[in-house]
Amino acid sequence: MALGVEPPAPSSEPGVPLSRTGRRPGQLEGPGTARRYKLYFLLPGLIVLLLIILFPLLFTIRVSFSSWNVSQPGLDWIGGSNYERLFADARYWASLGRLALIAIGTVAIEYVLGFALALLVWREVKGRRFFRVLFLVPMMTTPVIMTVIWRTIFHESLGPANDVMALFGLPAQQWLTSSGAAVVSVMIVEIWQWTPFMVLLLLAGLLSLPREPFLAAAIDGAGPIRTFFRVTFPLMVPISIGAIIIRLIEASKIMDTVYVLTSGGPGTATETSSYYIYIRGLRDFQIGYAASMSFAYLVIMIVSLTFIARGLNRALAGRRA
Amino acid sequence: MALIADHLTLEVDRVPHLDGLSFTLERGRLHTLIGRTLAGKTTLLRAIAGLERIDRGSLDLDGESFLARPVWERDVAMVYEQFINYPHLSVLDNVAFPLRRRGLSADAARERARTVLERVSLVGFEKRRPSQLSGGQQQRVALARALARGADVLLLDEPLANLDYKLREQMREELRGLFSDQGGSIVLYTTTEPAEAMVLGDVVLVMHEGRMLQMGPPDEVFDRPATTTVAGIVNDPPMNIVDAAIEDGLIRLGGGRSLPLPMHMRGLPPGNYRFGLRANELKLGSTDDAVGTVTFSEVSGSETFIHVDTGFGPLVIQIEGVHRFALDAAVPVAIDQERLFAFDPNDRLVAAP
Amino acid sequence: MSRLYPVLKYGAILGWSAFVVAPFLWALTTSFKTINGVTSGPRYLPWLQYEPSLQGWTSLFGGTGGIDIVQPYMDSIVVTLGASAISIVLGTLAAYGLSRFKYQLGFVKNSDIVFFFVSQRIMPPVVLAIPFFLMLQFLGLLDSALGLIIVYVALLLPIAVWVMVDFFNNVPRQLDEMAMLDGCTPLRGFVLVVLPNSLPGIIVAALFCVIFGWNDFFFAFTLTFTQTQLLPVAIVALNSSVTPWWTLSASALISVTPLVIIAVLVERFLSRGHLAGAIR
Repeated sequence: MALGVEPPAPSSEPGVPLSRTGRRPGQLEGPGTARRYKLYFLLPGLIVLLLIILFPLLFTIRVSFSSWNVSQPGLDWIGGSNYERLFADARYWASLGRLALIAIGTVAIEYVLGFALALLVWREVKGRRFFRVLFLVPMMTTPVIMTVIWRTIFHESLGPANDVMALFGLPAQQWLTSSGAAVVSVMIVEIWQWTPFMVLLLLAGLLSLPREPFLAAAIDGAGPIRTFFRVTFPLMVPISIGAIIIRLIEASKIMDTVYVLTSGGPGTATETSSYYIYIRGLRDFQIGYAASMSFAYLVIMIVSLTFIARGLNRALAGRRA
Repeated sequence: MALIADHLTLEVDRVPHLDGLSFTLERGRLHTLIGRTLAGKTTLLRAIAGLERIDRGSLDLDGESFLARPVWERDVAMVYEQFINYPHLSVLDNVAFPLRRRGLSADAARERARTVLERVSLVGFEKRRPSQLSGGQQQRVALARALARGADVLLLDEPLANLDYKLREQMREELRGLFSDQGGSIVLYTTTEPAEAMVLGDVVLVMHEGRMLQMGPPDEVFDRPATTTVAGIVNDPPMNIVDAAIEDGLIRLGGGRSLPLPMHMRGLPPGNYRFGLRANELKLGSTDDAVGTVTFSEVSGSETFIHVDTGFGPLVIQIEGVHRFALDAAVPVAIDQERLFAFDPNDRLVAAP
Repeated sequence: MSRLYPVLKYGAILGWSAFVVAPFLWALTTSFKTINGVTSGPRYLPWLQYEPSLQGWTSLFGGTGGIDIVQPYMDSIVVTLGASAISIVLGTLAAYGLSRFKYQLGFVKNSDIVFFFVSQRIMPPVVLAIPFFLMLQFLGLLDSALGLIIVYVALLLPIAVWVMVDFFNNVPRQLDEMAMLDGCTPLRGFVLVVLPNSLPGIIVAALFCVIFGWNDFFFAFTLTFTQTQLLPVAIVALNSSVTPWWTLSASALISVTPLVIIAVLVERFLSRGHLAGAIR
């Protein structure tokens, strides 16, 4: 999309405009009068966002230090007792573990599948435009609504899932009523829904790769597998990391699928953190405690994601092209 | 009306890109700014336009400070080296755009735009989009847009640099005609080519490493370059500079060669000097003359440039016609001392033919 | 091996396509079923394996034992378009500012501000649900379209900013400069010159906003009840064992179709090179 004259600014550097000397930001001239335009642009959006998001967040933190619940509404101060309770709450930590398993598992599978699919529809395939659009469709659908359909699919006796298993000579599963299978069902639904997102990002990345390395590889007589491991994958490392992180962020919020498909069950087999917080906060109405759970969850998420991001960067730094 | 700059300074990371520039540009004159690439010409133009911030110094137009006004309140029109037009507007609307901003009605603006397009020979292209035009045509649209509103200051940054040779020559002619009608504006035109600067300009400004080295009518700059740097810039190929000395009424070159002292140097005290001679004023001489060894020879157009090493330094000779010279061949070099320039050891001009 | 390769390639593509399409086909076929078609085990082919009927579809419009799907549809449209429009306007403005100007407040600079916008997406809905609930209750906006729009703006604004900052960074700055030289203040230049040349970016941003807005469930679920009911909430409310599968399937299909159609249209629009022409 570059309206090229000068080479486009690298998009990782917002706010550093181009100047012919390639030096510092081209400032607008004049005192006062010109500078206010800077504010006209940024402030409306920034203020709106701050108003809508910041106060609730700060409020949540404050509430987490209170014992607000159904019988005792209102802000009191109980110090860190909610957090103490949280520390000992095995169910909470179990839900975090489950979340990690499901999130990382689905994203890993989505990455592999997504990459494979992106490669498949990347070049010289008949009808690739059609397939590209088709592959993107699940992402456009409302997750909860599709999950409603999946619920009928996974019905043990009336749904096609076990029919399909029989077709492949595999035993029928208790998709929604057995702990292990329930987790798998959730993962299947998530993978169906979000692999297209990976395909989208990775395909865009593939399409933006320069030709030269591939020409060089072809001249050197490299076959498709070698080309992939020596050329394609290394070039795609930065984009891959970005895509994985973005998908991980979204996956760690998983809630809708669990709510509709299994209601966290059977038992707590598919209960993820979001779901547990929902139960405590909006069903049991223990708002104070739920607030502490939420805040802890947020912190844990941000820290983990930062570590994962750094880890990925370091692990793949050597392979980067 | 004049644009007066006083000690304009612009620094990037402590390095001056504009170093205390002072000059006056007058209404109705075509000023050409010549300098090598990275001399700071574009930076200066952008500073005048307001697109770069000045660190020190002042810039006044008719007594009013220019620097206090934001870009859109200065009446400056600029043509970029890489021609820029609005991709989403037709050619006609492109030219009419600045007029509309000034309050002209759509019809009045279009009328005026049509007139200007005629002057740049783009009749018939009004409805096209810039992306559908050739490079030369796009540049003309940019030019038309700049001319249309008769701005106070008209800046052109090497506008012909991205066009091919023939087109450049053709447009140079057209430009002279166009600018002569820009009565009210102050025009500043940048180029790296001496020929262009001399031919187009009423006043030539020579810039180097952010500093203004000389400013004056073309003849003056050409015939009396203030320093060896200026001499190098306003001549193409650059003027040959040779270190030598004046002694006993003679010019003593290295390698045992001497030349009689020309008339215009009679008043100079003996000592070390730097002498300059244009490439096209050196000739291939006879057996009496100094001998140079050919290090490089190149044919360009209908001229040949020979690079030689002599006992007193390297020289570039420009001769007419297409000639072949073998590497390491020995050629006699005739120096006409009447055409020599003399610069003091600080590179300042002390004598000119 | 090289002969096997195309077979594998197309096989994989078709295999995945089948997986993608399967739930839709199942829902489609189920939507035409009656009680027998459902309870006698999974059935796939109409007329051959079961008797088709339109009751699944008619029940959507208040027919026998059905629901009214029109109202939630309208509510979803209003909320999604409203929130998207506001997000696009505010987000594009902010993104332009972040792309063109240098902001500095203490140690906070442009990239930090962009990160702040984008990082809002990390926030799990459940963290915000309770405070939003209390906030809307305080404002008297619970169970209202306006309340939801406000909440959705907070969710969609970061998306708009994320897409547009990237896009604006790829629009050559000379256009902005030319507009300023021609007498436009930055705002006018933005509206008259930059925006018309940014249509592809705006369309992509709008598409993402509409997708995420239309598909939200959780906030609509916790913040609305009876007066305002968005489509996802309405459908999920049907998800009890009482609602027949045919109604369920029909309502699901009719709800996801609009976005799919929009996506297809946008893809054709973008790939037909409606991108602004290049300046040389």
